[in-house]
Amino acid sequence: MSVPPARVSPVAERWERERVLALAPDAPSQRVAQALAAARAWASTGAAQASTGQASTGQASTGQASTGQAGTAGPGVLWGECRGSAAAPYRAVVDLSGPAYRCSCPSRKFPCKHVLALLLLWAEGAVRDDPAGPPEWAASWLAARTGGAQAREPGLPKDPKTAARRAEQREARVASGLAELDRWLCDQVRQGLAASQQAGYGHWDDMAARMVDAQAPGVAERLRALATVPHSGAGWDGRLLEEYAMLRLLAAAYRNRAGLPPPLLETVRSRIGFSLRQADVLANGQPVRDHWQVLARRDIEQDRIRTRRTWLRGRKTGRPALVLSFAAAGLPLDESLRVGTDADADLVFYPGAVPLRAVVQDTRDSARGDPPEGGTITGLLAGYASALAGDPWLDTWPAVLDVTPTRSPAAAVFDADGDALPLHPGAGGSWPLFALSGGHPVTVAGEWTPRGLWPLTAWDEAGRVFGLVPL
Amino acid sequence: MSAWQDVVTAALIGTERTGFPRPSVAGLPAPADAPDIPFPDYPVRDSPVREDPAALLLDGAALQTVARRGGRLPERAEPLPVAEADPAPAVGRAPARRLDRLLTGEHPDLLAEWLAAAVARGRRAPAALLPALLDRVRRVSTSDPELRRLAAEAGGCRARWLAGLNPDWKFVTAGSPAGEDAWRRGNAGQRRAYLSALRARDPGAGRDLVAASWDAAGPAERVVFVKAMASGLSLADEPQLEMALDDPNAWVRKMAAEVLAGLPGSALGRRMAERARGCLRLHQGMRGTRLVIIPPAQCDAAMRRDGITPGLVAASSHPGGQTYRVVEVLARTPLAAWTEGFGRPAGQILAIPSGSWAPVLLDGWSRAAIAQRDQNWMTALISRVLTDEPAGTPHWAETLRQLARQVDPGLGAPGIAVGRDGLSAPVQDAIRVLRFRYDMLKELDDDDSAG
Repeated sequence: MSVPPARVSPVAERWERERVLALAPDAPSQRVAQALAAARAWASTGAAQASTGQASTGQASTGQASTGQAGTAGPGVLWGECRGSAAAPYRAVVDLSGPAYRCSCPSRKFPCKHVLALLLLWAEGAVRDDPAGPPEWAASWLAARTGGAQAREPGLPKDPKTAARRAEQREARVASGLAELDRWLCDQVRQGLAASQQAGYGHWDDMAARMVDAQAPGVAERLRALATVPHSGAGWDGRLLEEYAMLRLLAAAYRNRAGLPPPLLETVRSRIGFSLRQADVLANGQPVRDHWQVLARRDIEQDRIRTRRTWLRGRKTGRPALVLSFAAAGLPLDESLRVGTDADADLVFYPGAVPLRAVVQDTRDSARGDPPEGGTITGLLAGYASALAGDPWLDTWPAVLDVTPTRSPAAAVFDADGDALPLHPGAGGSWPLFALSGGHPVTVAGEWTPRGLWPLTAWDEAGRVFGLVPL
Repeated sequence: MSAWQDVVTAALIGTERTGFPRPSVAGLPAPADAPDIPFPDYPVRDSPVREDPAALLLDGAALQTVARRGGRLPERAEPLPVAEADPAPAVGRAPARRLDRLLTGEHPDLLAEWLAAAVARGRRAPAALLPALLDRVRRVSTSDPELRRLAAEAGGCRARWLAGLNPDWKFVTAGSPAGEDAWRRGNAGQRRAYLSALRARDPGAGRDLVAASWDAAGPAERVVFVKAMASGLSLADEPQLEMALDDPNAWVRKMAAEVLAGLPGSALGRRMAERARGCLRLHQGMRGTRLVIIPPAQCDAAMRRDGITPGLVAASSHPGGQTYRVVEVLARTPLAAWTEGFGRPAGQILAIPSGSWAPVLLDGWSRAAIAQRDQNWMTALISRVLTDEPAGTPHWAETLRQLARQVDPGLGAPGIAVGRDGLSAPVQDAIRVLRFRYDMLKELDDDDSAG
């Protein structure tokens, strides 16, 4: 394999302290790290230019590390030795391109307070560039890391026969699981949904657990989310029926999978929870290069897993894209796509009837972007309708609108044509959106759902971007 | 709409108990008429029968669900009144981020200073942060009308506009235009707001109002009156406050003593200085100058009148009682008594050895400097702490924090407040507060000159 193209880090500039704090796994870590971010706590610190992984054997490069390439300003590697409670100092290393971190302390938090404090110091400009490059202990970790990343890439397929047998077994298990689900759904409607209002979480959790056993985790997740519907206010019965109906449609579609066009089959499979490996998506998909505007993001925690949905839109193609990242509760989520920036990147879309989910293959550049162009409400509804024609289960659709928020009669937004849509009742009144607007139109990005618009980002008249939900 | 509602009602009751409508969508075949789906690998005996009413209802509901979602039409809404354009521009990026930090948990007690500094520079808080600001102020400020006033002022027209939408934030508009009506008919909070606004505008009128209303007021309101006089305080207020020292209510007396102790040239200050000079003497000895401390033997009636309560330990002959009395006397003594009495500047006085009494003196002087807003003394105290880190009394951490909050923020400039190895937590904390205040005000200044 030839040398991979040098990836230019999108994080060449010094970060803002908010960005560092966002990496913290929890609020106590933020506080402790801020206390540790004082020069006296550190025996030594240093930073070096973005080293192209394969050359970073440390002791050899005594001179200036790669200053030749234009555009690679700023350090890519930080290290520091922090005086802790142990006799030996804790050694923390950060590779800013990931970012990836390591520390010799025994903390189970990740990143630990030492890494966060080191980043904070650097953000404040208190870490000096060290022309000698990283010391041996840091360089060896960096080298091992880049080596590891290369080794991980190809992912050789296992014995094809075993793999085929496993796949067949799974299909059978999913089929019988969905048959069971179908019967259960019909039972609910036969006995009446009224009983669900008294039912506890177990009512759905038991069925969800069966779906996990049947290797249909996507269905399980949807079922678990239903437990809150009977207590979601007026119209809960209709919403529960909608969800049951769409689940039966999913079961029916899988039963009929032989007759489905391939893209729709992919959609059905992904909704059931057959996951594709990212490597396979990258290998089989066609990269779409564009200046992707990072419009909005939303973090959701369910079952101790945090999911970050990041919504993008191509400036040239106008195409919407959804990038998902996951982390266990307490661990930080991917920070590489920042709302309000434009990423010149290749995206590869997961296959499906309405390809929306994508994975970032390669980012060439990332910079603060202009506000997006807002659309009209009829445009949004028409776009959602045609997407639904491809994927009837789609219930979250990206919205970018030029609208004015109002509260009469209820919280809503309306556009220049006088068309209005309600705001999602769960969006907490969306007060920052109102504050920003002052009764004037603003550009809003968010998620359109059957219950209303969930505003996530807004741009004020000066084009400044504001996140509307605390992250 | 109604067709859908019929389906929902049937599902709610249950198909085993009720008939159900055949859901349909105009222009599409009914689900029952759709071509039969083959069941290649699907165990037929397990599957719901196709004629099962429950299955049919769900199939119809799915069709309607997608049709309703896809065919949704825009609604209508009434616009809100538009917020007035604000003559004051919003602060720029750096101060906005600082305000965000203040609102998300960092140094919450510096919020008022940020707001006051922004207002003083003719700037206002950024619109997007107003909901968080108003929520915070509403939660914490029932006892702090000044914070409400500052938030309302820094929030400008946009905050008033928001207050019209959210009843939680009514205080933004409630405080400002209140006329004499608020005083005559308002509740305790409105009366307090009226008085402090009047006092800020015209201290004499505020004093007259207090004097005219004093006899009719109960103890709780008298405490409010006395507190209100702390702003815009002058010697003209002294007779009223001296009278309050003889009030039957202990809280009124205590509050009046506290306010008078902050009034330069007050008779209370002179009485305290008298006591203090008896406690603290310069002694020129063989090994140089020292301070000798002679604690007051007891807390007599005159001291109590001037606000020194006997306290828990003070009544006994326990050494803690002596310490307590020295701190209490020092905290109320005009600092000029020392600079003039000893003929030395604050920094030199602080450097005179006083043995085991040093922490007590430091605490008392610090409290006096804070109460009298004496920048010379505060600066000297902070500088001494940063260079020499003397030990303090048990309350020292809080006192030091107060000092760091009120001293000239120029002390927080890089290179002045420098952390060193082995500093205690309260000192490190004070340094952080100083740095934060310095950065915060510098951002607003830079912002001001740029904009």
